[in-house]
Amino acid sequence: MKTEKKHIKSISCEEALKRVFDYIDEHLRGKSRAELEHHLETCRHCFDRVEFEKLLKSRLSKLKVEAQSETLRKRLDALLEQF
Amino acid sequence: MKLTKDEQEDFKALVLPLLDELHRLAYHLCHNQCDADDLAAEAVKKACENFRRLRDRAKIKPWLIRILSNTFISACRARKDYRAIEYVEDTDQEGEHFSLFTQISQPFLLWWGNPERELINKLLDEDIQRAIGSLPVEFRLAVVLCDVEGLSYQEISEILQVPIGTVRSRLARGRSILQKKLWHHAQESGILTRKKDDHENRKKAHQEHQL
Repeated sequence: MKTEKKHIKSISCEEALKRVFDYIDEHLRGKSRAELEHHLETCRHCFDRVEFEKLLKSRLSKLKVEAQSETLRKRLDALLEQF
Repeated sequence: MKLTKDEQEDFKALVLPLLDELHRLAYHLCHNQCDADDLAAEAVKKACENFRRLRDRAKIKPWLIRILSNTFISACRARKDYRAIEYVEDTDQEGEHFSLFTQISQPFLLWWGNPERELINKLLDEDIQRAIGSLPVEFRLAVVLCDVEGLSYQEISEILQVPIGTVRSRLARGRSILQKKLWHHAQESGILTRKKDDHENRKKAHQEHQL
């Protein structure tokens, strides 16, 4: 494991920040992901940034919505009856 | 052309379980119950009219989301307040790299708790929904589909029928503008001011204690 990490290229904070959103959106793979994760192990600022963006994304995914209105349900029932 | 009895039953069986999700998406896009009801109803009507064009019924959900998204874009374009994305991209450059984290994480604040987490916890759903609702249309769609609905870049690309690079770019711009709006809201509503004062008082008390 240690030997493998030696082959991971170090990246700058600037480069790491370019990859943050791909990372939190689960779109970062392979070498790019390993490089970022390696950077996050050693850079507190970038680590905190990633945690913040994850938290905000998670907050958005939990937004509550008013229950489907009775009016809409009736409109849709009527619409579906027409077809 | 009118659907046969069997097709009607198929349509209902496929669409009814997805109504809540469609309505939720419509609400996040419109940020208004009445408009969301209209949008969801219009999307279902169009889906019903075009049901025979759906070749793979396993793809009913992305198909419905695409219809709803297109209906939403058309409705927005018909309104006077619609800002074309080209206009936004040319003129709103300052929002491109805005980071709420960078604004909050001032060194002295980091000594005390976790101000970023506290800010997010203090924002109400209504605050966030209002900020999303004020994003330019194409950016709003990208942010809602990715961050609220949890769709992948590939799924969003297929729904909006734009390349993945465009999805990525709209998301980046949308998130940046959203964070800027949340930052302004936090300042105007006093969430940050109170927090900052609180931290400064605690820092001062800590220094006095050390003396």
